[in-house]
Amino acid sequence: MEVKILSAKFDIKDAHKIKVAKKHGAYSTLDKVFSMKPEDVIEVVKNSGLRGRGGAGFPAGVKWGFLPKDTGKPVYLAVNSDESEPATFKDRYILVKDPHMMIEGIIICSYAIGSHETYIYIRGEYTTQVKALQAAIDEAYKAGYLGEKVDGHDFKLNVTVHRGAGAYVCGEETALLESIEGRKGQPRSKPPFPAVAGLYGCPTIINNVQSIASLPFIIENGADAYKAYGTEKSSGTHLFGISGHVEKPGMYELPLGLPLLEVIDKVAGGVWKGRKLKGVIPGGSSTPVLLPEEAKTVTLDYESMAEHKTMFGSGGIVVLDETVDMVALVKNLIDFYHHESCGQCTPCREGLGWMLKIVKKILRGEGSMDDVNLLRELCDNIEMKTVCVLSAACTMPVRSYLDKFRHEFEAYVTKDDSSAVEAK
Amino acid sequence: MSDRSQLISTGTPFQFDKDRDAEFERLVKRYPTRESMILPALWLIQEQEGWISQEAMAYAADRIGTFATKLYEAATFYTMYHLHPMGKNHICVCRTLSCWLRGKQEIVDYLKDEIGIQPGQISENGMFSLEEVECLGHCGTAPVVQVNGEFHEDMDVDKLKSLLATLK
Amino acid sequence: MADKIKLFVNGVEVEVESGKNLIDAIGAVGIEIPHLCYHPALGADGNCRMCLVGIEDGRPPLVPACKTPAQEGMKVLLDAEHIKKIQHDVLEFELINHPTDCPVCDQAGECKLQDYYMSYDQVESRMTVPQVTKGKKMDFGGGVIHDQERCVLCGRCVRFCREITNTGELGIINRTDAARVNFFPGRPLSNRYGLNVVDLCPVGAMTSSDFRFKQRVWFMKKAPGICHGCSKGCNITIDHNREKYKDDIIYRFRPLYNEQVNGYFMCDEGRLSYKAENEGRLVEASIAKQVRPIDEVLAACEKEIGRAEKITVALSPNCSLEQMVTVKALAEKLGASLSGYSEGCLKKGDGDDYLIQDDKSANRAGLNILGIDCSKNGFETAVAEASLLINFNNDLSLSYQEKELKKLFKDTKIIAFATHDNECTKMADIAVPVASYSEYTGSIINCDNILQHFRKAIKKNDDLTDICEMGVRLGSPLQRDEQRFSELQQFISALKEFEPDKIPAEGLNLNDSEAANVNA
Repeated sequence: MEVKILSAKFDIKDAHKIKVAKKHGAYSTLDKVFSMKPEDVIEVVKNSGLRGRGGAGFPAGVKWGFLPKDTGKPVYLAVNSDESEPATFKDRYILVKDPHMMIEGIIICSYAIGSHETYIYIRGEYTTQVKALQAAIDEAYKAGYLGEKVDGHDFKLNVTVHRGAGAYVCGEETALLESIEGRKGQPRSKPPFPAVAGLYGCPTIINNVQSIASLPFIIENGADAYKAYGTEKSSGTHLFGISGHVEKPGMYELPLGLPLLEVIDKVAGGVWKGRKLKGVIPGGSSTPVLLPEEAKTVTLDYESMAEHKTMFGSGGIVVLDETVDMVALVKNLIDFYHHESCGQCTPCREGLGWMLKIVKKILRGEGSMDDVNLLRELCDNIEMKTVCVLSAACTMPVRSYLDKFRHEFEAYVTKDDSSAVEAK
Repeated sequence: MSDRSQLISTGTPFQFDKDRDAEFERLVKRYPTRESMILPALWLIQEQEGWISQEAMAYAADRIGTFATKLYEAATFYTMYHLHPMGKNHICVCRTLSCWLRGKQEIVDYLKDEIGIQPGQISENGMFSLEEVECLGHCGTAPVVQVNGEFHEDMDVDKLKSLLATLK
Repeated sequence: MADKIKLFVNGVEVEVESGKNLIDAIGAVGIEIPHLCYHPALGADGNCRMCLVGIEDGRPPLVPACKTPAQEGMKVLLDAEHIKKIQHDVLEFELINHPTDCPVCDQAGECKLQDYYMSYDQVESRMTVPQVTKGKKMDFGGGVIHDQERCVLCGRCVRFCREITNTGELGIINRTDAARVNFFPGRPLSNRYGLNVVDLCPVGAMTSSDFRFKQRVWFMKKAPGICHGCSKGCNITIDHNREKYKDDIIYRFRPLYNEQVNGYFMCDEGRLSYKAENEGRLVEASIAKQVRPIDEVLAACEKEIGRAEKITVALSPNCSLEQMVTVKALAEKLGASLSGYSEGCLKKGDGDDYLIQDDKSANRAGLNILGIDCSKNGFETAVAEASLLINFNNDLSLSYQEKELKKLFKDTKIIAFATHDNECTKMADIAVPVASYSEYTGSIINCDNILQHFRKAIKKNDDLTDICEMGVRLGSPLQRDEQRFSELQQFISALKEFEPDKIPAEGLNLNDSEAANVNA
């Protein structure tokens, strides 16, 4: 089931070094790219159906097409390497094992959108990864792939690495821009959209590391080669992260569209320790949980996930076994989102804190049915009333746990042992 | 988060050392505004001193040419910036979702018993400080612990024992 | 004049100005959209979420009104059930961690949370878990006290210090619900407009230490007025109250919006100058420093005037135009020279590029437009020749040292009409108290040639007579308001279009018509 498109060089020794990378094809698409017109590059990417791999799944080529022409302002590219969504651990492999693939992708994207300045926003915790990334960038400059004349072509490109410092919210595209500009990572209201007024008020494209790293393959082999993988509306491959209660957790590159349970069993070895499956988080902590019956019919693509009222997200699959106390899990999730809330707008700032206190109260055995109902109601009151979707990233999954595992919450308040789960 | 308003004053003015000074000047050319240097400057201070004092923040504000409150805002917003001296070895244990599912509490409990500190505390001999952090992006090898910036994956109590031995 | 466009609010068509956001556009036709963080002087921030409105057939269907420009044909939903629920929910989030400080909070009675609670909530609290606690009674410098728990984190104070005064003392630190306003240690509020954050704060998080616990706002009457602290003439609201058995006193000045004069703000010195209206006043008339009944003193004045060989008259640059023109007529009748010399009011270099002016007098332009000599030479010559000076509130101790004054007036008697007891009144042979600017109606012209009219705001138990009436008592031929206004119209042609009471509230810009008349 696994494929090696993005991860083609991951197992090759020293593939992060430019000499080895080049031997295996790094930067080989550049001549082709620079012989094409920028609009044609955008067209190829559009046709490939590449969707944003950060979690939102917006078609990359379409996003590039939103850039206004002839504004007189510089166009910026920001590469989102914040990777802070719990259960997501894919981009760092690219940064460490095949950074030149990403740099090549940056060159392709920059040429297509007419940008000469790229900022890679990398989360502060990625200490070893930022060193590897900077080393690769330095190699690329030395070899002439970055700088005044990219690979000898009349195209200038500078890449700067900007370190974050511990804020999940900076994965949100406008918060990321705020952080580069030196401010707190507080998302901006949209409109205006970054494509029109982004970094320093200029047209900006923000793409996830993996989306950018997918570009060399698409240019080299064409849109159809990319569409040969995945489904009609969800083309290509993805670096899926499988974690939680499985035998073989890890990062696996798979084409989109495979059945979820099959992947869990065949690729990740199934639920660990011979236990039973209780639930699956399909695409990162912000996605609503799936019950085992639902997991049976869902496939790993955007459409199937939407039909099952959840999301493809970042492809971070978390497997939950029968011992998981769902109320404690909800507390763990709300704790995360509350801690990461930027504090800018009222419903998220005050509301998530309130939700956390209520779920803690329930866990302590001091809660009432009113508290459970309130927790459920707050999910609706907070969602979509805020500047950004961090609040929804909390309320959507929490709502799903409350709806699908309501009995566990009620057991805490009625102190009825029959439904309660012995917490691990 | 807990309140990070309390800044510590060293009583002496701060200055970049030669290397950080050169790095500051190199980086400032990469951005169209000097304010973009706020996060990089805070990192440079932390690299140099291990933590960021009130004087260092004021220095950065003057060097960049911006209000001290903007540095204050950034330093308190981003939790990786240490606003007081930490232990010689800073241990970060991931506490979110996958690490929680795969036993991060055992690690935290073990550290409490072995070193005698809870998350947020510094050991009496100053050798260790402990912090529970949010998802570190190593969920496939959970539970994960980051010590002095280095990742240690697939941790369990035994591996932790050996790791601590190398640090003492 | 901006273009008008038609849009719908709750299904009803209204005509609003184009180019404005929905809060301002719809607010101008009398429909309120609740909001906390938006302020017309500071722009929209979009963080409070109180102004969320529905747009029928809109994409997106829910927008913050502060960031949405009014467009032709827009269908705004305010009274719809789902919008009312959102307003209620957002207010609930604002209130869950808000301390129930109302009984001890100065903002009570003019607090947005209280007002919105009454309009959009009125439901009991569902908060059964401990509230977030933060700092209280924090001294932020500049006379501002901050309460972090009351704060709704609208960010207005931060934006004010960054964008209006460009001093940046305030910031919002931490994130999530630990977020709070603070200043960098050792760098508290230290700009000359800091107290404006007290007005800007929609709740009681920013309070003035000067006003703290002094008076409840619902007891105070609000009267419009003009600050006389400098020649800017910022419009103010005079908050005053006459407690039972006591006299009417002023508790505070607050800036009043005037687009062409001061915008939304005023400086701290001007704001606190209300104290000078209350304190240090000359209240009793005296002859040779002996307190005497006013009629006796005025009779003495008339006697002195009658027997003086040569009289000179001094005018204060703080007098109103009406007072100036009355006194000018009196001086002419008495054959007296007239001077407005008041160099001491000019504090060179003290003004800034915003509101504060070097000239600390309110109506010097009035002296100029009436052609009254203000030269030092002119004044000293006139005093040397005169045996009697009638001084209408010109505090000469600002322009001269005590020794100089004694020398200047060694052969001249002084009748001083004054609002305040100062060196001048102490030196006078006859001292008479007069009403100060909050106690009379008049007009002044500011440093930008804008003529502004203000009304008597304070009525004391024993009202003092104002300078116009004093002038008439001493013989000025301009005995009635209409006569004074006619006289002014001779000097200020723009006034010919108006009747005395109909001068527009925003002031009359004289620049187009009167530029030739005024030589500052």
